[in-house]
Amino acid sequence: MTEPLVLGAIVAVAVVTAVLGARGVRVARTPADFLVAARRVPPTLNASAICGEYLSAASFLGIAGLALQDGLGALWYAVGYAAGYLVLLAAVAAPLRRFGAYTIPDFAEGRLDSPLLRRAATVMVLVICGFYLLPQLQGAGLTVQEAVGGPSWIGVVVLGVVVVLGIASGGMKGITFVQAFQYWLKLVAIAVPALVLLLLVQHPALTPVHGAAPPVFHKATRVEFPDAESMRVQRAVTVRAVGTVDGIRRDGTLALGPGDHSIGAGTTLSFPAGTPAPTVSSDALLSYRQWESPLVRIGGHVIHPLASTYGVVLATFLGAIGLPHILVRFYTNRDGEAARKTTSVVLLLLACFYVFPAIFALLGRLEAPQLYTSGQTDSVVLVLPRLAAAGTLGVVLSALTAAGAFAAFLSTSSGLLISMAGAVSHDLLGRGVRTFRISAVAAGVVVTLGALVVGGIAINVLVGWAFAIAASSFCPLLLLGIWWPGLTWKGAIWGLALGGGASSLGVILTIAGIGKTGWPAVLLGEPAIWTVPLAFATMVGVSLLTRRDIPRDVTRKLLALHLPERVRLPEVSA
Amino acid sequence: MTERQVVRAPVRHSPAVRQSPAAGDLYQPDNYAKTLLSSLIRAQLGATVTVLVPAAALLLLYPLLAVLVPSLAHASVGGLPLTFVVLGGGIYPPLVILGFWYRRRASRVEERFAELLEERDD
Repeated sequence: MTEPLVLGAIVAVAVVTAVLGARGVRVARTPADFLVAARRVPPTLNASAICGEYLSAASFLGIAGLALQDGLGALWYAVGYAAGYLVLLAAVAAPLRRFGAYTIPDFAEGRLDSPLLRRAATVMVLVICGFYLLPQLQGAGLTVQEAVGGPSWIGVVVLGVVVVLGIASGGMKGITFVQAFQYWLKLVAIAVPALVLLLLVQHPALTPVHGAAPPVFHKATRVEFPDAESMRVQRAVTVRAVGTVDGIRRDGTLALGPGDHSIGAGTTLSFPAGTPAPTVSSDALLSYRQWESPLVRIGGHVIHPLASTYGVVLATFLGAIGLPHILVRFYTNRDGEAARKTTSVVLLLLACFYVFPAIFALLGRLEAPQLYTSGQTDSVVLVLPRLAAAGTLGVVLSALTAAGAFAAFLSTSSGLLISMAGAVSHDLLGRGVRTFRISAVAAGVVVTLGALVVGGIAINVLVGWAFAIAASSFCPLLLLGIWWPGLTWKGAIWGLALGGGASSLGVILTIAGIGKTGWPAVLLGEPAIWTVPLAFATMVGVSLLTRRDIPRDVTRKLLALHLPERVRLPEVSA
Repeated sequence: MTERQVVRAPVRHSPAVRQSPAAGDLYQPDNYAKTLLSSLIRAQLGATVTVLVPAAALLLLYPLLAVLVPSLAHASVGGLPLTFVVLGGGIYPPLVILGFWYRRRASRVEERFAELLEERDD
């Protein structure tokens, strides 16, 4: 189902990004220019740029998709993604800017005088950014597939190429304007369709969907299956099938009994009105009552709900301060005060944005039960406009959400790739624009190949894991490094290794399919609930045992972190 | 740096402090410098904690209440699920207000600190 307008919107976003990015080429001269755009970005522009960089595939597609699939409890991700900026504002923004390091590894070495710690921090940068980048590319695959059909690898490769070229040529000066533009594009692209659909959709009053009933097709519905699925039918139904069902090619009416049916890729099934919507076999079927619960589900199941919810809240609330691609932006503030102003505006802008994924989830539940059937819940923001609004309006609105989604992948992937390339060139290999460019290309190629391999995990869950790892590694490093004079490099390294290692291991085991029920599912799938305390306890404990390693000039370092610029001696203002 | 000193400046209009010579005191390896620094850090940490504790309470109490009072999880407000009203919008204004309030408080802490240094300089 090729939609020229949708495809055009995606191309337009890519072109505008490239043009705006290219303007930066003339300005970018040194590695410092590339990394922090020479620190001349005013707070409101900077705040838009940070939001542009932050609102990723997870925010634009993933939250609505996960809330549609697993229930409204998934909105905790959105709340945590925004609330994390309050932690950043109140505990990190100004001191980090005043300290005057370019990256988290710079901060780690500058604060604790250990080149070894710097390398450990660099490895964590690569792990976190890598985990974060995979779902962005996955989302791009989904969006392009939605627009032009065909395999999803096309979108993955297109995004990979655009981002790598943009960064290798433009650096961050260009990117700042691009990111700021992309925040506003994303806000318009999600807000306008959401508001128009709210007005348009003659959804039934919410009361009939209350209670135990699963979602029902209100009208005769054609469901397309872009990928092969196993589908669970609740009640015997006669459909019109075009494609492969249970291994047999069909083209005509077909009676489907209750139970699992395998559906081939590219199949279309037309269900009569009034049928309960079948689900993907592996997903739980939620009644409205279950769906509206404010607690987080793991893979659709309620497993120790309070612990799972706290796991998500902790990871997102504390994870935002440990995201390398966001922190690097704070050095583009003029001073500590400007960093605070920027962060408080970011919080406001994010709060405005996150209202809309929730609206999409609610409307999707009422209007698009076929997404449960085809297992395409992550694409609700992309397809709902076309399903709920007829004709040209639907196409225009879906072109708008496709453009916003592509902007989301472009901006976040650019930021992540800059951080990875910066980590490799600046922190591992030494400095230089040439090295930075080569690192950007290398990291881009590696992650694009990685994204072609993974798949099938909800976008938002993947991003949530990147937050959990950040919350268990860089969060304690930054909070303790800024506020506690007693931190030592040995404590920091052990904390990074245990916290970052344990959370990464939990995530990898979950991806490998280990621990699907009971406490293992919670502790491995939402690791932050124990790995964050573990990382803090380790850093404090080991530091107390290695007091001799407290840097001798720790007072001077704390001055650099906390002294307001206006009372600062010139030689310490970095 | 265990001794605590309260940073408090008399109410008066001070000229903008740019490069206070008294800032040099902070770089001296004596106890006075350490006390000054730790009082600044404590004042700033105080502002941080008074913002983050209510925010954390807000985030952690709601799921707890939903577990303890199951009817809360399924309540509705004006035909919309309560969960949607809270997590889809209602929880953000308090967070944003806390953010802007912190910014004001933090810059007041720094103003007072600058005045304190200037006063010593007089």
